[in-house]
Amino acid sequence: MGWEEKQVRGYPEFVQTAQRYHGRPIFALFCGDKDAEGRSWCPDCVTAEPVVRKELHNMPDESVFIYCLVGDRAYWKDPNNEFRKNLKLTGVPTLLKYGTPQKLVEEECFKAELVRMLFTED
Amino acid sequence: YEDNAMFFVAYTVWVMFQCSLILFVFSVQAHKEVKPQKLLEMNGHTPVPHAYDYDLIVIGGGSGGLAAAKEAAKYEKKVMVLDFVTPTPLGNSWGLGGTCVNVGCIPKKLMHQAALLGQALQDSRKFGWQFTEEVEHNWMTMTESVQNYIGSLNWGYRVALREKKVTYENAYGEFVGPHTVKATNKRGVEKLYTAERFLIATGERPRYLGIPGDKEYCISSDDLFSLPYCPGKTLVVGASYVALECAGFLAGLGLDVTVMVRSILLRGFDQDIANKIGEYMEEHGINFIREFVPIKVEQIEEGTPGRLKVIAKSTKGNQIIEGEYNTVLLAIGRDACTRKIGLDKVGVKINEKTGKIPVNDEEQTNVPYIYAVGDILQDKLELTPVAIQAGRLLVQRLYAGATSKCDYVNVPTTVFTPLEYGACGYSEEAAVEKFGEENIEVYHSHFWPLEWTVPSRDNNKCYAKIICNIQDNERVIGFHVLGPNAGEVTQGFAAAIKCGMTKEQLDSTIGIHPVCAEVCI
Repeated sequence: MGWEEKQVRGYPEFVQTAQRYHGRPIFALFCGDKDAEGRSWCPDCVTAEPVVRKELHNMPDESVFIYCLVGDRAYWKDPNNEFRKNLKLTGVPTLLKYGTPQKLVEEECFKAELVRMLFTED
Repeated sequence: YEDNAMFFVAYTVWVMFQCSLILFVFSVQAHKEVKPQKLLEMNGHTPVPHAYDYDLIVIGGGSGGLAAAKEAAKYEKKVMVLDFVTPTPLGNSWGLGGTCVNVGCIPKKLMHQAALLGQALQDSRKFGWQFTEEVEHNWMTMTESVQNYIGSLNWGYRVALREKKVTYENAYGEFVGPHTVKATNKRGVEKLYTAERFLIATGERPRYLGIPGDKEYCISSDDLFSLPYCPGKTLVVGASYVALECAGFLAGLGLDVTVMVRSILLRGFDQDIANKIGEYMEEHGINFIREFVPIKVEQIEEGTPGRLKVIAKSTKGNQIIEGEYNTVLLAIGRDACTRKIGLDKVGVKINEKTGKIPVNDEEQTNVPYIYAVGDILQDKLELTPVAIQAGRLLVQRLYAGATSKCDYVNVPTTVFTPLEYGACGYSEEAAVEKFGEENIEVYHSHFWPLEWTVPSRDNNKCYAKIICNIQDNERVIGFHVLGPNAGEVTQGFAAAIKCGMTKEQLDSTIGIHPVCAEVCI
């Protein structure tokens, strides 16, 4: 079947989407919001996104790729935001395999090899 | 006639060209399997200097192996790590990182902490905390959290190796000939790799009793930390630190625990302290069956956990006893993984009886290009920090011109039994044997941790002991402490002992108050 992408914004929408696909491998990329021109306030996210997208074909069949915008910069900086509290995210961009401790944070997301490793690991 | 001849010659040349093309293609394919040169070497021809696949291949991705691999990568060496976990008899396996990370130190300490927190909850009432519910422990919650943390460590090692450009394969490595290993992955696919040097760091696995029912029904430490159900009423067989630490935290979590001991507790450790540890555990609800060994384990009922019947025989006579338990945990020792990695194919000598590998003080085996670190070494301490240090220093000597060798003397350790035990240097009996009773002075004291006073916990169980060599300025040669946070207390004293601290220097050090460690000053 291949894989599919879901784009979500904010924590509640993320959780809802992840729950809907329970049972399938779920990978999620968390980035800062984008402005009207489609540019994120998070420069590292701008760098990471194309690297990650280029490796998506390595995900196992039936995978769901959730592209999640976390919010604006102020929301992200708040140490109590839901992503930090509930998902234990420490930075954006974060690429993770949902339901496992496997994740790549910030500059790790720039490295195609690491992204590929995350997508293809048992 | 001439035209025909010309045609014939041209045709022959064309055919030869095609054949050589085909041969070239085949030789490129064969290069990927076994290079013809390697075959020549294996058949006894003198080795020809040529490029190996790797500078260093490390067999075993545990504490020693990973430390060495990461260090070698720092010096721009081409390194490969082969790590593979042969599943336990019950089918259990784990990720990269070795025993310590997956089925040893890390989960052990976390579960020990879980037990200590249970005790703290009891103590807390005396300090004014009020809660009406009875506090119970949920095994699954604890185990999931522990396994989740271990998973993040496994992943962290994967990322670290990849970032440092160390090639990692989840495959079983074994020697097949000089400078050559075969790596077999879990699907049975085999690949051959060559290297200039090799590091064996394959560690150990728990030993089984060799009695009916042991592999079918008993678990080991390899299974305990990820057990998907609460073990219930448990029989721990053994008196090693693994046995006592596991028995200790299982009891601390509220389970009914019995320890079956063949002879003494904590062989190799200071026996005076070992006995105090045993007494403390007994006084705190752990049953001990002394001088018996199991001879049969039967299943009464399947389940998670099920019910098992254990039949045991006395070591001192013919008495037979029986007992029923939900779980039987075997912790009778660990065996080195050296017998099935092809060491005979490359001539590496091992101690046939123990399986351990003798090495010189530079961790080199009898084969000059093959080294070994960690638990598999003969006559060396089986500790993660020792393996890490030995691995790192070895690599620095090989690739960075360093000369430091691993110092195996005065290595501190801690046993995380319910009453923790930290030690560095000689046990009392070893000191007596080495220096003579009249030449050593032992200073000792019981102590009552301040935190134990209010909740009325034992006032005469914690204990500290310093052993000094009278003939050498009363140099401190042995440090032993039995009490809370023993590991934290011992670490600093290990550094002092390394510096050659004497009793006088110890006496002139002012204590920190109020802490347990000040009793040692």
